[in-house]
Amino acid sequence: MENQTVASSVQDWVQAVISPSSPLGLILAVLLVLTIPIALHRSVFKASGLTVLPSILLLGPSGSGKTALLTLFERGTNAATHTSQSPIAVECSLPVGTTAASDKYRSTYDPTNQTHKKFLLIDTPGHGKLRHHALQNITNPKNLKGIIFLVDAATMSAGNGGLRQTADYLHDVLLVLQKRMTGGKAMKALKEVSVLIAANKMDLFTALPAALVKKSLESEITKVRASRSKGLLDSGIGMGEDVDDDKDDWLGETGSSEFKFSQMEEFDITVEVAGGNVTGGDGPGVDKWWKWVSERL
Amino acid sequence: MLDSFEILTTSGVVLWSKSYTPISPSIIDSLITNVFIEERTLPGAGIADDISAANNPPYKHDQHTLKWTTVKELGLIFVAVYRSLLHLSWIDKLVDNIKTIFVDLYGDQLKKPHTTIVECHFDEYFDRQIQQLEKTALNQDTRVAESSALLEEAPPSLVEDSGDEPPPLPGILSRGQSKNYRDPTSNESTLIATPDNSRPTTPAGHLLTGKGGPGGKGSRRARKAANSPLAHASSGDESNSKRTRAGKAAAPKKGRKWDADGLADEDSDTPLDYSAPANGATSGDDEAKERPGTVEKVDQASWGSRTGKGQFVLKDLDDQVNSILATADAKKADSTAASSGIVGSGINAIGGFFRNVVGGKTLTKEDLDKAMKGMEDHLLRKNVAREAAVRLCEGVERELIGTKTGNFESVQKRIQIAMESSLRKILTPTSSLDLLREIDAVTSPSATSLQKKRPYVISVVGVNGVGKSTNLSKICFFLLQNKYKVLIVACDTFRSGAVEQLAVHVRNLKELTSREGGEVELYQKGYGKDAANVAKDAVNFAAQEGYDVVLIDTAGRRHNDQRLMSSLEKFAKFAQPDKILMVGEALVGTDSVAQARNFNTAFGSGRSLDGFIISKCDTVGDMVGTLVSMVHATNVPVLFVGVGQHYSDLRNLSVKWAVEKLLSSN
Repeated sequence: MENQTVASSVQDWVQAVISPSSPLGLILAVLLVLTIPIALHRSVFKASGLTVLPSILLLGPSGSGKTALLTLFERGTNAATHTSQSPIAVECSLPVGTTAASDKYRSTYDPTNQTHKKFLLIDTPGHGKLRHHALQNITNPKNLKGIIFLVDAATMSAGNGGLRQTADYLHDVLLVLQKRMTGGKAMKALKEVSVLIAANKMDLFTALPAALVKKSLESEITKVRASRSKGLLDSGIGMGEDVDDDKDDWLGETGSSEFKFSQMEEFDITVEVAGGNVTGGDGPGVDKWWKWVSERL
Repeated sequence: MLDSFEILTTSGVVLWSKSYTPISPSIIDSLITNVFIEERTLPGAGIADDISAANNPPYKHDQHTLKWTTVKELGLIFVAVYRSLLHLSWIDKLVDNIKTIFVDLYGDQLKKPHTTIVECHFDEYFDRQIQQLEKTALNQDTRVAESSALLEEAPPSLVEDSGDEPPPLPGILSRGQSKNYRDPTSNESTLIATPDNSRPTTPAGHLLTGKGGPGGKGSRRARKAANSPLAHASSGDESNSKRTRAGKAAAPKKGRKWDADGLADEDSDTPLDYSAPANGATSGDDEAKERPGTVEKVDQASWGSRTGKGQFVLKDLDDQVNSILATADAKKADSTAASSGIVGSGINAIGGFFRNVVGGKTLTKEDLDKAMKGMEDHLLRKNVAREAAVRLCEGVERELIGTKTGNFESVQKRIQIAMESSLRKILTPTSSLDLLREIDAVTSPSATSLQKKRPYVISVVGVNGVGKSTNLSKICFFLLQNKYKVLIVACDTFRSGAVEQLAVHVRNLKELTSREGGEVELYQKGYGKDAANVAKDAVNFAAQEGYDVVLIDTAGRRHNDQRLMSSLEKFAKFAQPDKILMVGEALVGTDSVAQARNFNTAFGSGRSLDGFIISKCDTVGDMVGTLVSMVHATNVPVLFVGVGQHYSDLRNLSVKWAVEKLLSSN
């Protein structure tokens, strides 16, 4: 009985609404007609507008010139910088004369070439205590196209403390990238990673050329790898609680005696080394890096 | 004078800077690394509430003092650099004012995402602000000087002097003047004052323009600004102006003011004036006498308008700046006076409660207080020393005040997250702590570097009974497994059985590792010898015999026993250890801070600890607070953690593990 009364009352109500005599139905109809196109427009265009800009990540030890490069890429001129404490993402556009790799097949006279390709450049602090920002960005990529690892070429001679610390950091970064391939599902989204080792400060007298920077970094990473494998376990591991077997901490080809950047290709990581200078008497020389960036976009 | 003023973001980009003398950028870099990143706050620094530069402890580096303040939500840092020798009373005010002005002017630009560019034409604002502050500061000074001059009667001899000699001391002159001008009738005063003043004022003024010249910009206004405060004579002039204002209110000043001003200004730097008063007729003198007074009157009464008439832009700037500062002040006053009325507070309370649940609440000190107390208690329960716990909580509180909670985020949750990141920051070492590679670098240096091969020296210090010898043996075992040739040195020449104990360890280690190719020997000279000498001999011996690593055991000593601690300095000098490790036991509570601090300073000025070994971590369960206390006290990283009774029970510190233990609730 109750059901029936409820149903009938609903029926009454619906009838009242759709009957042409009542203004309510009319209003409803008009409202729908007006709002549907607007809603549709919004949903469609918002979806297309939400594309995340391709991003390039800047890594490197403190004092290697990350923020300086960031400002140079953004403004085209040098700006004074200091030690960073927080990451920053900046919208940059490719300079005139470089075309992004995705625009390769466009005609030279294609008007879309006139608008510069935009991308996000993410700067991270290089200080030892703040590197978790950088690692967060690697493991949580949002349309990450490449990683620029800046090194100070003037501190790359063998036996230098700067080389040791740089190699440590680079080793950690590459290891995280490698683990992304072997484990983790979320990180799989990032299929292929390219890493540019940008040997900065080439304008300095003591700077090593790019080929030598590559060599000394490789030999130093070999050492890091060896000593990491020989070192003590971390506290917490093997002490009863949460034994997560992170044994697979060997960077590069297993069993290889020497580390080479080419070994990383097995894990879809391409590593290139290119020299340049952010500041300097003859102006900045970052063309090679621009070229690399444009190839990634 | 100020060396440099910079406005930079936390991401490291300098937005605006002005430097008067070139300074090395490393000065500000070191401020950032030491104060902001590594948080080596100076002792005695209380809770800095981020509002005023005066509350932030000044940072001193390489003969420079840095005053700074921050704006958290915009990520801005304002730094003023000046020579430590100088005492700039207005510097705090300057930093604060610049902060207020800059944020007000460019706040919108700063909130834009994805850019570092801030269009700012801030130079003029800054210059004006500096001038204003310098002026007020010096006015205060002169006011003080004046009042003192008025209080103490000027000695008559000095007044006479001022009349006789052409270039009198400005201070003396001012006294003379002020005394004269206190006479009630203006006419009389002119008559009396004429011979005294006409001459001295001009030389004084001349001298002072000369001084002001290089400092000022050369423009009349700038010179004036430099002039009037610098001149001690102005103290007299000030009182002079008071008199004119009081006595001559009826006199038609308005018309004359401008001529007089212009003339006086011209006169003050022409050498002609030297002679003019000398042959001065009474009327001329009268003019000359009248001038300074009127000049100063103008200065006092209508500084702004006068400069305004000269340069309209500056006038606008002034007004703008002043209004910005005034609104900021008013806001501050409002916020303190707010929360009145029963209804209002009731609604606030309900809203606050609601937002506490839903999130989006702007945190204030009151909101945080209770939760912070809970966090502090939690840390104390984890055996963190009170001092460290309080500082950690203050740091977190400082970080959180003024921020908004996220959606559906409670205050407690927010504090938890902030505390986690702050613990991680404190425990993470600045540079990598790979002991094996450091040893390799020393024992087998690369061919290109100029270093000679030598043994790597590690020494272990600590309080009695914390496990120095045991941990030394553990390190030795670790090194032996990596096929190093190790020499253990018994420098505990004091406690009975210490040498024998080490001998037993060495025997065990030999047996354990001989198969794997480790080599270990004991170097001992018996009891009663000087430890420093034994250590030195041992290092030489090791270098000759080709050992890779020298491990030096020392006698345990109470950290507050000056007599025992003082021998450590000599020890560090003789043995020249590459690493001095301090063993601290996880069981110790509040004393850990004092232990770490005393040992850290015991090795003389040029040397400090290189790392901690926290022993007996297996005996405390979750209460690993000692880790934090010791690192907090010294900023020295934890190198190893002892987690058991066996030789192999030595671990690197995993920061994640430690933070989890510290924050776990049970």
